[in-house]
Amino acid sequence: MRRALDALKEYFGDFAHAVAKGDVWTKLSLLIMGSGFFARGQILKGALVTLLEAGFVTAMGFSGKYVSKLGTLGTVQREEKLDLTTLMKTVNDYDNSLLILLCGIIGILLVFAFILLYIGNVKAAYRLQKRKEEGKPISGEVNELINDKFHVTLLSLPSLGIILVNIIPILFMVCIAFTNYDIDHQPPTYLFTWVGFENFKALFTSSTTVTFGYVFIRILLWTLVWAVLATFTTYFGGILLAKFINDRRTKCKKLWRTLFVVTIAIPQFVTLLLVGKMFSDYGIVNSFCSKIGLTAFLQNIGLVSEGLSYIPFLSKPGWAYVMVVLINIWVGVPYQMLSATGILMNIPQDQLESAKLDGASERQIFWKITMPYMFFVTGPSLITALIANINNFNVIYLLTSDYVTSSMKFANSNAKEVDLLITWLFTLTNDYSNYKMASVIGICVFIICAALTLVSFSRMIAGNREEEFQS
Amino acid sequence: MKKKMDAVLRHVFLALLAFVWLIPIIWLFVTSLSSYKGINTMHFFPTKWSFDNYIRLFFRPDTVANFPAWFTNSLLIGVFCCLISTAFVLMVAYAMSCMRFKGRKALMSFSIILGMFPGVLSMIAIYFVMKLLGLTNSMIGLIIIYSAGSGLGYLICKGFFDTLPVSLRESAKLEGASELTIFTRIVIPLSKPMIVYTVINSFLSPWMDFVMAKLMIRSKDPSDWTVAMGLYNLVQKTLVGEYFSLFCAGGIIVAIPISVLFVVMQRFYVEGVTGGAVKG
Repeated sequence: MRRALDALKEYFGDFAHAVAKGDVWTKLSLLIMGSGFFARGQILKGALVTLLEAGFVTAMGFSGKYVSKLGTLGTVQREEKLDLTTLMKTVNDYDNSLLILLCGIIGILLVFAFILLYIGNVKAAYRLQKRKEEGKPISGEVNELINDKFHVTLLSLPSLGIILVNIIPILFMVCIAFTNYDIDHQPPTYLFTWVGFENFKALFTSSTTVTFGYVFIRILLWTLVWAVLATFTTYFGGILLAKFINDRRTKCKKLWRTLFVVTIAIPQFVTLLLVGKMFSDYGIVNSFCSKIGLTAFLQNIGLVSEGLSYIPFLSKPGWAYVMVVLINIWVGVPYQMLSATGILMNIPQDQLESAKLDGASERQIFWKITMPYMFFVTGPSLITALIANINNFNVIYLLTSDYVTSSMKFANSNAKEVDLLITWLFTLTNDYSNYKMASVIGICVFIICAALTLVSFSRMIAGNREEEFQS
Repeated sequence: MKKKMDAVLRHVFLALLAFVWLIPIIWLFVTSLSSYKGINTMHFFPTKWSFDNYIRLFFRPDTVANFPAWFTNSLLIGVFCCLISTAFVLMVAYAMSCMRFKGRKALMSFSIILGMFPGVLSMIAIYFVMKLLGLTNSMIGLIIIYSAGSGLGYLICKGFFDTLPVSLRESAKLEGASELTIFTRIVIPLSKPMIVYTVINSFLSPWMDFVMAKLMIRSKDPSDWTVAMGLYNLVQKTLVGEYFSLFCAGGIIVAIPISVLFVVMQRFYVEGVTGGAVKG
């Protein structure tokens, strides 16, 4: 915290210094941003900066009227009037809360960006002035962009993209969590407005009509159980399979590997939809099971209720939980096998040899050498996989699209027992336009993922390891 | 004798496993060759074989299934995404790995935090942003969505660049090479496995994704859809009885470009995955 404050102080201190000590041209660049560059012969840069300034000012002018309404998100509701003389409908000058919020956010980002550019520009002008005073040569503009400032060249376009499709949408959705934007408050016809922490409260309360609290806890638990199960089953499954295929007693390694990898070649949504159809209530697996008498057997031992003539693979909670995990193993193991194969080949052979000489059994070697090595190498990616599974939209959504919940509590919150937080969120936005609750859930998912990531990446961000490999 | 038994058991076990893994794929394939249009729930193999689904897929597009158009759309989007994403990932990774500048660590932390927001959350917001820009219902919009944020996925590639010897870059610099030259002439040629990995991933994402596409492309005209969207539509309740075998044929055809990509690049793929994973 202190360090951040110091850095801020230095940042603005430098700016003040540049303004105070700058000559005419540097001071002029407070007004016309390119002038500092023009005066030192960097015409291209000067022109670019001045153009940017003009662009920013106009853009901020446009978004200004939206930013000013951010506090209320609009007050004038849309009204249509039928003009009796012309029989034409006229619409009043209404406020669109959605546009106000979106353009408001963009406007604020623009202001921030402009301030950064502005301060940076004055500092740059001052640096140039000093270089000139000291009689040092001023390097060419193009040369700078492919050398010392190459990172600017490299990062500007990708950053722009990230701002467009990541930062703006995320800011927008986080804001939505604090508004009452739902199906009853849809722009342009209706306005929505700020409600503070109401939605967060709703997520943790349960009553007879509002069941978000109950459903949220259930789905959260299932999400976590699912993520852990899905990650570890595919992880160990993949390693065991890779180990099995790579064993020297196995013939035709390539052939086996290819057989499993074939399943990757077909896009996930195709295979998942297909498998979903196979296991549906009247699907081919069910007709097969009833033919060989499995359905009747399961009914006898009570795993399938009497009233059903089929096994509810993907349509009753207990069965569906097991099935999605099993099908996920089917989907995930080949991927894991592929990457585990590569890592297994890199295990230091001398360790294996010496273990063998010392008389270690196969099992001992596997658990004492192979697995620790695998953990060491794939540890961080395990956390990434866990997070990916928390957000594993495809498997759940595609497999359980025909699932209908029988619980009133779940139905009241538009959820299903097998939903993950992420699929619940999607159903809420896509089918029920309940954006406010979806955003709150999204924020919860983020918090969970962030906590997990902090655990695994704190080492990496601290970042003393990266130079280790650059020797 | 015991050894022999062991070997046989081992292969029988593998064959069983492989069989389980292949059942759905086989079903997909044989159903695509069925003359019955809906789901055959009684028999695994079709009662009547025919090649008609493939012919129908390519030469008789109708009001819900226009496979040739879907395929071209997806291919176009895939190629452009591939180019843009790969360029972005390499650029960001180089800047983060090989250059030292103020705020680098902060940017890295920030990008990791950003990556933790669930993509589904921002989906609807991306739709609003694109609507504001007037890019919904267009290919360009989809290309932007799939590739613009790709810079965030630089971590694995950065891990790979970190393992390249610094001395290579330093000696080049001593010889008077600019950073641009080092990037294009030294680092990129050395990172083939990484490029392959990124290319595969970015080429595949538009083929796999149907949610984002469904959200963006509101057009009712099937010639504007992508493969994923179109195929997904074919198995909706109202259509599945008429189009299931066609869906299977489509699934098989989609697998072709993906498998070709895999076969050509499989060797690199394994290297690429582990190359990044070692670093973590």
